[in-house]
Amino acid sequence: MHPDLTLRIAGESGEGVITIGETLCKIAAREGLHLVTFRTFPAEIKGGPCMMQLRLSEKALSCHGERLDLLVCLNQQALDDNLEDLGEDGALVCEAECELPDEGAPRTVYRIPFERIAVREIGSRISKNIVVLGVLSHLLGLPKPAVEKLLSEKFARKNRAVLEHNLEALRRGLDYAREHCSGRKTIRLPPGGKQNKLLLSGNEAVALGAVAAGVKCFFGYPITPASEIMEWLALHLPRLGGKVLQTEDEIAAIGCLAGASWAGARSMTATSGPGLSLMSETIGLLTMAEIPAVIVDSQRGGPSTGMPTKTEQSDLNLALYGAHGDSPRVVVAPTSVADCFRMTGLAFDLAEKYQLPVIVLIDQALSARLETVEPGLVERKPAALRLLAEPAGGAAYARYRLGPAVSPAAVPGTEGGEHMVTGMEHDELGNFACDEEAHTAMSVKRHRKLEAINDDALVRDLSSHFGDPDADIGVVTWGSSAGPAEEAIAAANRMGIPVRGFVPRILSPLPHRDLAKFLGAVKRVIVPELNFTGQFAALLRATYGIRTTSLTKVKGVPLSPGEIVEKIVEAAEEIAARSKPTHGKAAGQRV
Amino acid sequence: MEKLQDSACEYLSGVCPVWCPGCGYYGILSSLIEAFAELGVPSHELALVSGIGCASRLPYFVKAYGFHGIHGRALPIAQGVKLANPKLTVVVVGGDGDGLAIGGGHLPHAARNNVDFTYLLFNNAIYGMTKGQFSPTTMLSAVTKTSPFGLPGETVNPAALAIVYGASFVARGFSVKKEHLKNLILEGIRHRGFSFIEILASCASFNTTDMNVARIIKAMASVPSDHDPAKPLEALRLATHEEKIYLGVLHRAERPTLEDRCSEIQRAARARGGGAYADLVAQFA
Repeated sequence: MHPDLTLRIAGESGEGVITIGETLCKIAAREGLHLVTFRTFPAEIKGGPCMMQLRLSEKALSCHGERLDLLVCLNQQALDDNLEDLGEDGALVCEAECELPDEGAPRTVYRIPFERIAVREIGSRISKNIVVLGVLSHLLGLPKPAVEKLLSEKFARKNRAVLEHNLEALRRGLDYAREHCSGRKTIRLPPGGKQNKLLLSGNEAVALGAVAAGVKCFFGYPITPASEIMEWLALHLPRLGGKVLQTEDEIAAIGCLAGASWAGARSMTATSGPGLSLMSETIGLLTMAEIPAVIVDSQRGGPSTGMPTKTEQSDLNLALYGAHGDSPRVVVAPTSVADCFRMTGLAFDLAEKYQLPVIVLIDQALSARLETVEPGLVERKPAALRLLAEPAGGAAYARYRLGPAVSPAAVPGTEGGEHMVTGMEHDELGNFACDEEAHTAMSVKRHRKLEAINDDALVRDLSSHFGDPDADIGVVTWGSSAGPAEEAIAAANRMGIPVRGFVPRILSPLPHRDLAKFLGAVKRVIVPELNFTGQFAALLRATYGIRTTSLTKVKGVPLSPGEIVEKIVEAAEEIAARSKPTHGKAAGQRV
Repeated sequence: MEKLQDSACEYLSGVCPVWCPGCGYYGILSSLIEAFAELGVPSHELALVSGIGCASRLPYFVKAYGFHGIHGRALPIAQGVKLANPKLTVVVVGGDGDGLAIGGGHLPHAARNNVDFTYLLFNNAIYGMTKGQFSPTTMLSAVTKTSPFGLPGETVNPAALAIVYGASFVARGFSVKKEHLKNLILEGIRHRGFSFIEILASCASFNTTDMNVARIIKAMASVPSDHDPAKPLEALRLATHEEKIYLGVLHRAERPTLEDRCSEIQRAARARGGGAYADLVAQFA
């Protein structure tokens, strides 16, 4: 029995790899298991290798795992590309005709003629993936009624014959596996939990989180890997009385957002790096005009068009600073699918309460990954509202009244609240003001919001702490790199290396009190992140004047726990080497 | 400013216009507030949206909700305002550079979406705010600071563009003909859908040749009384006339607005059922 199980299905795009993976996910979620997936797909429109990895466990998971327990390859290319990731005791399931390497072939191999069964026995090549599902149902010990029920749901909209066809393919796969795969090593799903879980992708969690937070208007322009957020909302938001508009470009999308939000509607857009850069001028306007906005950036490999289907965490600098002039904004970084839901809601609360733009920084791996979420975690209501003005007759309403960081906003249509909002520097009334007093006072007003947020209960306890609270080695990371880091820290501690971790979920403003305390208490700070230059490490160095050890990666895939463990071990060895007494100096003397 | 009705003066914010003496935009401002007065729209239900440039300063001078945005982006901003609160009377103001150069990509989409607002494009054929560079409507032969030896590209005809882009209301006015312009603005605001009004105006500081008042007066003509504005090709013929500058309503068509379409989409979506949050969550179970 495995405490958790990591399996990967690999094949050619179009062979049904994702269908197999998603079906397995759904069954596992209904069995009450925790799961996290990872998938890669080519940037080509059609064709190219793709894979989906699933990690299943009885316990909560923080990343998609590392060594595979089970690898399913639908063709030779898939086998050649993926075999090295199979664990020592792992099993391989592959198309019968695949050739195995002379050296390093796994001990357990199931060669199955998927293609032959599909073509000869079912009469259609496209049902091959359902044959694979049949074989896996046997190997994993999936409850047959659950699999059949899911297929019935999946093909409910098609005619009866299509469903029968697929159920037959499932049976053929199961029967073949029963006959040929028994008596050898079998792989079983971990036993299920008590409660059925929800199965969502990061993008779906963002969209659902926006709905739960009361989004009324969504504007966007299609871009990988964020498009699904708009697609999901286009399908569902109108039913709830909301509006979704695909605009002519990203500049128009955020322009519409600015107008709709000023007019009082909770509004949002979602994009990726190239889109965010186009939006940066308007982000400055939103800061200047003090208009709430939620902007989701699902990062991908950059710069420029870069690697549109691969993950990276390299928009941090753009998210933090992208605009001309000093343009304070909030940046939040979810670490998991459930977090995508929660942090999108928080983004709306902060945007509305503080009347400024909030960027939700996720990445391709988080957008695309499926994860189980406890149903109770997606219940939410707006926790903060926009401070609205109640203009009194007589005195002119001052939209930008100085004093508190947040001045009450009059929404267009409110009697007596007529005012100007503008991207120009202005006085309290919103009128153009180019003098030094106005610019200084309004700069203070805009920046003070971040200080106020630092003290707000909404952002209290947003950071995660992991590992040994007395350790000298600290790991600080953000976003989707938090999961692998959490596992790496646990693994290193089990190896006897004391290490602890800190993950802030809000990157602007940084949670200064907790972060400074953590950084001050450790001797070595390792910063794992998915970009070339170590953008977050640079932010920490600039803010706190500390030294950091960067662990960066730009391969388009997430960090693995093992890579982070390696860095921790290195740091531990260096610390040990330094603390050894050096020749010629008395023991105990500081070196 | 010349004599205005008292009711029109109530739409003045009290902020003194920053335009140069002799600027044609003063005339447009007075026509606009007279139109508001005649319409009787309460100032708090009025949203004026603009981009950047001399024309885009106008919202400061009017008592209304005003959004002075960034260069070229007035149309998307106004579209957002209208979608969020369809009850507002939304008027977009901007110049030829703002609307046809940097913001030129937004015009076809505001037109095809048929957003129910009125776009006043002040055409003085020059960049005034940045002090005298050519704009998309500057004449080919013009000498400007960035075209000392003539222009590199052809001249854009704003009204013709709007007709071709499918705007459901297209008119052309002249800042000097204030009563006529006021009526055009009134018609534009009353029209359900995207109303595009090109307003010819002189720039007293940087373009006194192209948009010379005397030249326009000489060439201007009223849209013929037998013109059928429902026919876009006829409208285009008038808009692109080589000698005459036709003033008046060139094109008018009735079709659903963006708001109508959004309501239809909401109805269609509701017909599929499952409109509660719990139903959304259930699809992930």
